Amino acid sequence: MKRLFAFVLALAMVCCLAACGSKDNASSVDEEKKTFIMGIDPEYPPFSYLGDDGQYTGFDVEVCAAACELLGWDFQVFAVNWDEKLIQLDAGECDCVWSGMTILDSMKEAGYVISQPYYDNTQVLLVKEGSDITSSADLAGKRVAVMLGTSGEAMLAGDLADLAASFADLMICNSFLSCFTELGGGSVDAVFVDLPVAAAYAANNPGFTVINEALGAEQYGIAFRSGDKALCDAIEGAVAELVSNGTYAEIAAKYTDISADNLVFLNK
Amino acid sequence: MTLLTMIVKMAEGLGKTCAIFFLTLLFSLPLGMVVALLRMSKNRIVSGVTRLVISVLRGTPLMLQLLAVTYGPYYLFGAGVARNKLIPVVVAFAINYAAYFAEIYRGGIESIPVGQYEAAEVLGYTKLQTFVRIILPQVIKRILPSITNEVVTLVKDTSMAFTVSYQEMFSIGKQIANSETSFTPFLVAGVFYYVFNGVVDFVMGRIEKRLNYYQ
Repeated sequence: MKRLFAFVLALAMVCCLAACGSKDNASSVDEEKKTFIMGIDPEYPPFSYLGDDGQYTGFDVEVCAAACELLGWDFQVFAVNWDEKLIQLDAGECDCVWSGMTILDSMKEAGYVISQPYYDNTQVLLVKEGSDITSSADLAGKRVAVMLGTSGEAMLAGDLADLAASFADLMICNSFLSCFTELGGGSVDAVFVDLPVAAAYAANNPGFTVINEALGAEQYGIAFRSGDKALCDAIEGAVAELVSNGTYAEIAAKYTDISADNLVFLNK
Repeated sequence: MTLLTMIVKMAEGLGKTCAIFFLTLLFSLPLGMVVALLRMSKNRIVSGVTRLVISVLRGTPLMLQLLAVTYGPYYLFGAGVARNKLIPVVVAFAINYAAYFAEIYRGGIESIPVGQYEAAEVLGYTKLQTFVRIILPQVIKRILPSITNEVVTLVKDTSMAFTVSYQEMFSIGKQIANSETSFTPFLVAGVFYYVFNGVVDFVMGRIEKRLNYYQ
């Protein structure tokens, strides 16, 4: 009996602690709003990555920083684990996920507030220089790598399932670097990846070629927790102002791997 | 995706999880004994080197060792990357677990009183006979709970194989979670691991009971 009591007591204490934790989170997010924590994939150049100076940077990070400055908010960056980005968003570790994130219908269905799309994303193939693959038609019987949780993976499971079925093997990797390493090491013949990421990698690493064929089209957006519609509106408003005062185009010009044609706001 | 399809898809990955689990045990349990004997060698150089190797294996993350075994040869020597990831995964797991098992074996062997060796010598046992017939049976009984601990950890550690793109059960769960924006696959994975470990617990419990012939 004594033991049971101790157990129940311990359980109650744990529950109390848990409750405290969630309350703290809620208040810091809802009331103050002075600090805006941006959730990024730290391995997603040129949209978000660890810069040479050890600070997170990238197109998305710079836009968000500029938007927060405009709104007078403190700006912080939080590196999420891409597979668990939405759990981390729900847990309050960050206030949005904004990192070249492809908008999925399932996200809206799950109740997340999703911003207007800001980037038309295309998927391409990255191959080794001198590869006999010149288009997606050559992929039959080949081994292809794709990163888990990217739009490429979603597409190969959805719209491009027929293409995926023609592969000898589809390897799902847990980082872009591991996809590219598999390609370099010859265990796959091509990597199915977002165009800007492929372009950035090919530019920095000799021996790789991006195949000039746009596969599938999807759009990037920003995810907020359900109920954070006001927050989403505020950010969207700030970004719209950055577009109209030219800051947005200035930031975009710094990232040559991002084609201005694909930036929705610059093509209205 | 219905819950049933989810479970079926993840159960397919469970086969790969089991492959890591059984192959790792198959190689690391004997390898651990070899390492333990080297570690207790009277030769200072042999025991010193073994000690260093064990400290590196226990002192660095398994995830790092997985990356090193799989991609290390490519980055260091430009060698190819293995297509069948099961090989580098089992190599990394077996080496890592052997280091832990070695220390458990050593603890067990050193817990046997010196008097038993002396008694065996008086009775005319050779060193090998003493070890195999007298020491080892007692050691196995003593270390079994610690071994169970490691085996249970191994079940959960298999999820790390995805670091090198090996599609075991948990990575399939992650893929479903991503495409469906649902957390259910994690719940399913949790149940799978728990049931797996329930079986491990049961089997190890039975072995312990059978070895408990003096009580």
